[in-house]
Amino acid sequence: MTKYIIRRLLGIIPTLLVIITISFFIIRVAPGGPFDGERALPEVVKRNIEAKYHMNDPLIVQYGRYMFDVLRGDLGPSYRYKDHDVNFYIFQSLPNSMILGAIAISLSIIFGITSGMLAAVKQNTWVDYLSMALAVVGISVPLFVIGPVLQYIFAMRLGWFPTSGWFRSGDGWKTIVLPALTLAFADFATIARLTRSSMLETLRSDYIRTAKAKGMKPSAIIFKHSMKGAMLPIVSYLGPAFAGIITGSVVVETVFRIPGLGRFFVQSSFNRDYTLIVGVVIVYSVILVIMNFLVDIVYSLLDPRITYK
Amino acid sequence: MNLFNKKSNKLQTTNEFNQVVVGNSLTKDAWRRLKKNKMAVISVIIVIVYILLATLAPILPIYPYDEIILDHQHLKPSFSKNAGELLMEKRLADIYTQAWRQGRMQVSEAEEEMLWAWIDSSNANKVWDYMFVVGSEQVAEGTYTLTAAEKRIIENLEKKLQTDLQITVKKVWYTNSETGKKENVARLPVEQVVEIYAEMVGASIASVSNQYEREIEQQLVKVIMAQNTGLTPEEYLLLYDKKLESMSEREHDKLIKENVFSKIVSYAKDIASQDLKTAATDASAEFPLDKEISILGSLSADVEATRKHDRQYYLGTDNQGRDMLSRIIYGGQVSIAIGFIGTITSVLIGIVLGSLAGYLGGKVDYFIMRIVDIMYGLPYMLLVIIAMAIFGRNILNLFFALAIISWLTISRMVRGQIMSLKNQEFIEAARSMGAPTWRIIFKHLVPNSLSVIIVFSTLRIPSFIMTESFLSYLGLGVQAPYASWGSLVGDAVGGMTLYPWKLFFPAATMTIFLFAMNFLGDGLRDAFDPQSKNQL
Repeated sequence: MTKYIIRRLLGIIPTLLVIITISFFIIRVAPGGPFDGERALPEVVKRNIEAKYHMNDPLIVQYGRYMFDVLRGDLGPSYRYKDHDVNFYIFQSLPNSMILGAIAISLSIIFGITSGMLAAVKQNTWVDYLSMALAVVGISVPLFVIGPVLQYIFAMRLGWFPTSGWFRSGDGWKTIVLPALTLAFADFATIARLTRSSMLETLRSDYIRTAKAKGMKPSAIIFKHSMKGAMLPIVSYLGPAFAGIITGSVVVETVFRIPGLGRFFVQSSFNRDYTLIVGVVIVYSVILVIMNFLVDIVYSLLDPRITYK
Repeated sequence: MNLFNKKSNKLQTTNEFNQVVVGNSLTKDAWRRLKKNKMAVISVIIVIVYILLATLAPILPIYPYDEIILDHQHLKPSFSKNAGELLMEKRLADIYTQAWRQGRMQVSEAEEEMLWAWIDSSNANKVWDYMFVVGSEQVAEGTYTLTAAEKRIIENLEKKLQTDLQITVKKVWYTNSETGKKENVARLPVEQVVEIYAEMVGASIASVSNQYEREIEQQLVKVIMAQNTGLTPEEYLLLYDKKLESMSEREHDKLIKENVFSKIVSYAKDIASQDLKTAATDASAEFPLDKEISILGSLSADVEATRKHDRQYYLGTDNQGRDMLSRIIYGGQVSIAIGFIGTITSVLIGIVLGSLAGYLGGKVDYFIMRIVDIMYGLPYMLLVIIAMAIFGRNILNLFFALAIISWLTISRMVRGQIMSLKNQEFIEAARSMGAPTWRIIFKHLVPNSLSVIIVFSTLRIPSFIMTESFLSYLGLGVQAPYASWGSLVGDAVGGMTLYPWKLFFPAATMTIFLFAMNFLGDGLRDAFDPQSKNQL
């Protein structure tokens, strides 16, 4: 097991290197630089700026320098915003995205598992149909439609929550409800469907029949015996779920005007702010890779049938 | 007898009661099961209707999706009223609302309260609609009389609605004075077109040619500047000279002809619009009309004219006066095309790489699967966003960016299928008969895993469309004047309260299609693999 963990940890390194390399080179071969404005800059000014950011060095030197800096945890200066470097902007907006993402994924897990279990236990009743209908909606309707619809119903018509904003805007926790619900919806749908199908499968298996034959209480059968086995596919779905949350947060933060990393990312890719874009991608990748790693470990701990070399 | 009954000559299997046993293929069986699934059948029908609408868009009787009519901004959807009536209604509602706000129009206290409640909840649409009804009633009953200024506004608008025409010049004819033959100007040789134009404006050929030479130069320099940025003016001129040199006589003549002909057409349009406007004012002509109008001496033109405000917008218009119905249909074209072509591309890449990895195994397998593993770890949507932001936001880039990242899952799946198939007897038989590797893979292995691939592809299409619309929503996908469902929703979100139809129709269209695709995918999976029923 320890060996497996170490091997997985070592496997993270090439992934991260590939990410940094891809982002770096995509951006370097891009036509048009961050300093290309409406007006062409005088030659001297352009050269000075390029010298300041070491952009006139050979590409491989730039790459080496960047790699070294990133490994030290320094993501470099922002090309657009002169006041602070990339680290500052990322650490300013990352917590907002983390709070939103954490709430959304907890909501989707809690509601997804609950409704999936209910649907499986009460198969072919209205509970089943209702939760599966909700799940189909969650899978078919894009986030950027769900978001405005929720805004329209709960903010504009009913006035329960503010349409947009974040904690500081005076509405406190209320601002987080709609974005978190929107973000949670897609993953809720998949988790509910997964739970239902794996629950149904487990409920049909032999050891459950044995438990029933022994006269165990239905609640004990469901919670003690079936649930443990039924949770495995959900744990393995969590990796893609984190990726979905990250992508989704880009849209949700744009819809609800949340000062998070996702919105920042879209803005800086419009601005061609190279270092910022790459910085955000690296931060996201690190989060994603770590989450995937944790999910794998949890999975191997939960399922005794799997042995790792 | 044998000639007519060829089929029955085939070797038939009979069972112990001497009844013919008809063989059943997997696809036949799957089709039978699919037909039983009501939701899947409805979905198939919906999907077919969508695809038909999208492909037939150019010949459907709808307005062009990129035709901008600024007068028709944000008209609401209506089946019974045309644009002119809606404009009038809007103006009247505005007049009545103002009259009420200025205290000139009286309403009951209860109504007053209701109106203010609407204003407080920023429900301007309801106020206007209500005031239009109340105002019209009051004017009819005589309890409110329009002021002179208001009457003038209404009259002016009425006149405008009557006389605003939309004119297209389809063909320009030239009657040769010597032979009396009527000729299409667009087909005439360039010298003659120039002559006609010179005669038309009453200038010498030299001054005309001077003018078009200058205009063509400007036009070419503009193109060169758009292609190469950051050069000095001298360098541009140098490039221009080179371009002129490299151009053949025919190309140059073509440019001249285009330039001069477009001037003739716009001249013809001016003349025709003057003529028709008077005809529209004194109602001496019926619209829409389609006739030949003489322009000047030997020139005449085939002109099509419609009243601009007779147009009907069943789903309303957007912020530039473009018809939402046609934008949604054309947007569907883009979205569905990206969904299908993108899926096919990614599935093809996935099949090739997955089957190679699965069949060859060893180092090839290891290498391909490591690439897949590493790419799985990437937040690929973000890379797509970067790529779109940097390499330009057009449909082709979008499509490539999506196809390149989405072959991962399918290649893993195909690999698994092939690995489970490759040790079976029929493959061994093929191998022992000396079939080459590619033949074994593409003739034996891939067709046998096709059902899994088809099911997966069907479920991929909606997610492709979702991704495309997600990027378009952020402004990184399809760019105006083109539309996709995502970009339409993205454009509409800002004015959601005032113009809800702009959000509702594209969102609903898209959602219905995604629903149908998902149900179809589920249905296909259940049909091909009944054991998987109730699974995700």
